[in-house]
Amino acid sequence: MIPSSPFLCVITDEAFCPITLAEEALKGGAAMIQLRHKTASGSQLYSWAVEIRKRCRQYNALCIINDRVDIALACDADGVHLGQDDLPAAAARKLLGNKLIIGISASCAEEALQAEKDGADYIGFGHIYPTISKQKEHAPLGPDNLQKSVESISLPVIAIGGINAENAPLLISRGASAVAVISAVSRAKEPSKAAYELLCAIKTGRQ
Amino acid sequence: MQHNNFKVTPLPRICLISNGEADADQGKVLLAQLNLLPETLPCMVQIREKRLEARELFNLAERAGAIKLPAGSLLLCNDRLDIALTAGLDGVHLPENACPADKLRTFAPNLIFGCSIHSLEALHIAERSGADYLLFGPVFDTPSKRRYGASQGLHKLGEICMATSLPVYALGGIIPDNAALCMEEGAYGAAGLSVFQDTARLVETLEQFYSIICQ
Repeated sequence: MIPSSPFLCVITDEAFCPITLAEEALKGGAAMIQLRHKTASGSQLYSWAVEIRKRCRQYNALCIINDRVDIALACDADGVHLGQDDLPAAAARKLLGNKLIIGISASCAEEALQAEKDGADYIGFGHIYPTISKQKEHAPLGPDNLQKSVESISLPVIAIGGINAENAPLLISRGASAVAVISAVSRAKEPSKAAYELLCAIKTGRQ
Repeated sequence: MQHNNFKVTPLPRICLISNGEADADQGKVLLAQLNLLPETLPCMVQIREKRLEARELFNLAERAGAIKLPAGSLLLCNDRLDIALTAGLDGVHLPENACPADKLRTFAPNLIFGCSIHSLEALHIAERSGADYLLFGPVFDTPSKRRYGASQGLHKLGEICMATSLPVYALGGIIPDNAALCMEEGAYGAAGLSVFQDTARLVETLEQFYSIICQ
């Protein structure tokens, strides 16, 4: 189940060990870990996923696998996160039934609406602010577009892209159900502390 | 496509692997190959397009799956069971570094699982994971596989075939002229990429293979 109060999602960074990172994030209070590694082999992803899922269960957090529905099934993850270049949401939903959570990346209200129609459980919306973590084709969307998407659909919206402890409260107050970060945790001197500070910031954003 | 019939009808003897260039040609060669397969010559066709994003691969797999193939033919996707399932293909072919077959099998009990192997050790792992067939190579030297190391040779192919009761396809530089040597070593069939690239000669090439392998 996706938490009903605002939470933190930490996405793994390809430059660091995903298991260590997941552990640190969970210690800091992340309620969702997304394993994202675009170049790893299936066997490597599977063994990471099994370890991360185990740790997520200990912390009662959700384990989400990026892109690979097959790996998500194999490791008994809680869900998958699919970008616009990944398997279509409708096809994934047909395969998975209601067994797994499906999150879909959207960068405009139209994509968010389509994802909702296709059976998504949550939307990853961004990037909100400039980010170094991913190559981006469009300008940062900002809090106004985030709010517009939140209001146009009934699914939880997770804000992503350039989010830190300073700007997180605003995004929660604009209706985001969670914030997702990569570098704000992975590149911090103390990742678990950075996650905890983000979580505190998220809580101050609650109306 | 023929679903779930591999238990009653044997696997095809020929395995055609896509050229890995669908990002450049939009899958044109693969779709042409599928459309050209002669009615009497069943083929196992593996979509192996490592450079495609999952969405593009799914779209290509759906287009390929919509083509009516000769009876007994099978269409597989390399590496991605999720795409094989969502696109309605017959199976998945797992590279040696893929997610273990036994972890996937429960989600697709009716699909065919093939495994690439390059050693006896990998053979035993693949057998235990419930593979339906094996792909061994490179048997001969081939430009497309040179970066994976030296060819393994016919003797090694023979060792592998002796060590398993699973069907083994020989891969790597296999042409009609040397296919008989592979069969003598106990191979079940022949697999290739480049040998099937020339679509103008595809039917002729398949006929040559079949006359050697099935005699």
